[in-house]
Amino acid sequence: MTIHEGRGGPHGLEVQARIHQGIVPSYLLAKLAESERYAQAAEAARQTLIAPAPAEHRAQLRLSIDENGSLVASVEAAPNRTISDAHGTETLPGTVVRTEDEPTVADVAVNQAFDGLGATFQMLLDAFQRNSIDGKGLPLDATVHYGSGYDNAFWNGERMVFGDGDGQVFQGFTGSTTVIGHELGHGVIQYTAGLEYQGQPGALNESLADVFGALTEQHLLDQTADQASWLIGAGIFTPAVHGKALRSMLHPGTAYDDPELGKDPQPADMSGYVQTSDDNGGVHINSGIPNRAFALFAVELGGYAWEKAGSVWYRALTGGLPASATFAQFAKATITEADALDTSTGDAARAAWASVGVIKATGDERTVG
Amino acid sequence: MSEPSADPPVGLPADSDAAGDDGVAIRVARSGGIAGMSRRWSVQPSGGEAEHWMVLVERCPWDEKPPPGTGADRFVWRIEVRIRRQRHEQVIPEEHLSGPWRDLVDAVREADSGAKPA
Repeated sequence: MTIHEGRGGPHGLEVQARIHQGIVPSYLLAKLAESERYAQAAEAARQTLIAPAPAEHRAQLRLSIDENGSLVASVEAAPNRTISDAHGTETLPGTVVRTEDEPTVADVAVNQAFDGLGATFQMLLDAFQRNSIDGKGLPLDATVHYGSGYDNAFWNGERMVFGDGDGQVFQGFTGSTTVIGHELGHGVIQYTAGLEYQGQPGALNESLADVFGALTEQHLLDQTADQASWLIGAGIFTPAVHGKALRSMLHPGTAYDDPELGKDPQPADMSGYVQTSDDNGGVHINSGIPNRAFALFAVELGGYAWEKAGSVWYRALTGGLPASATFAQFAKATITEADALDTSTGDAARAAWASVGVIKATGDERTVG
Repeated sequence: MSEPSADPPVGLPADSDAAGDDGVAIRVARSGGIAGMSRRWSVQPSGGEAEHWMVLVERCPWDEKPPPGTGADRFVWRIEVRIRRQRHEQVIPEEHLSGPWRDLVDAVREADSGAKPA
């Protein structure tokens, strides 16, 4: 049996301690919980079998059957979610309406937010072995029903906040797993590279949040890169709108084309890079460029996008990327990570960034801006 | 690299001088948000209405630079005003749009509620 300390940082009580891929029959787990010799394992077993976990750190038991037909029990980190209701006001956090141990409630938006946070948590853990936003099991807090006819969802630095939409253009924002994953992704970015929310690093911040959103949905639906829609925010427009989503990562600029809203303004490569002072320098517009690079990379590699392509992007984000990173700097970081895997992955990364004009086809970086 | 498809630097109606030296024109624009869609509302009050709007405008602390925004995907407001030959402009992160700024923005949105997404 292998016992690992969790990645919970300096806290003394490491309930994320994992009984890693061990063959642990339930009777043994129960026995283990009483063990004095294996104190850490006993603690993990107790968390799983007996006591409800403390609020700050949670664990979940995952049971599976291995190739020999043996029961495999592993204790892994679990989310700690709290959903609040702003009741149509702009006051945060609002009143608590569902916590981690409580069952579903009548309010669909509450359950959608709860489930979306859980899906994002599980993707981060499975794909990147990351325990929540900060890697240390940070509780996930969200507020629904924010504002009156409020057409937005945002990350305020501490929590995710969801409006109900105006009912004409937008429906509620909790209905899209990619939107929820996107908001949580901003939290991960805040706790890692801390990319500035302006201009090119801001557009990179937005793109990485879209990557987290897309990977969350694909992981939830068990989709490979070629099966995925690569859409962000599908289902949040009302049926009246001529559009399928807010953005298309694979085909930026094609998500909607509506008589009232106009056409999706995202560029698909650097020739369409938009200089503007609105939207913090067009962070939601120019994100289309690195979005397409990621989608092309993932589709080229094939398989589950979170496994190889996602890991390369994640390592580039968390491997010392400066807060002021440009597209070209991030491209270089991803190519370094891809090359470290193997030549074909490195070549696929170079080809993806060259396709969107961030680097030249030879691999040299092009000056942008 | 293409030129931006953005608006003129000061996006007041091109014919706003037509109202003459007494003219008041106010435009508020909202950008950002997770959708990244911009919307605009404007008013060009005339005659007796102008006084009411000038009071709303003059209550705003135009010389105070608002704090920077926090988090991500929040709206950003750009408020532009012309009173006679004077022009004012301020960019305010949504979370700092309060007091007289919020009053002004809400009044313009209400007066121009027929505005379409742009």
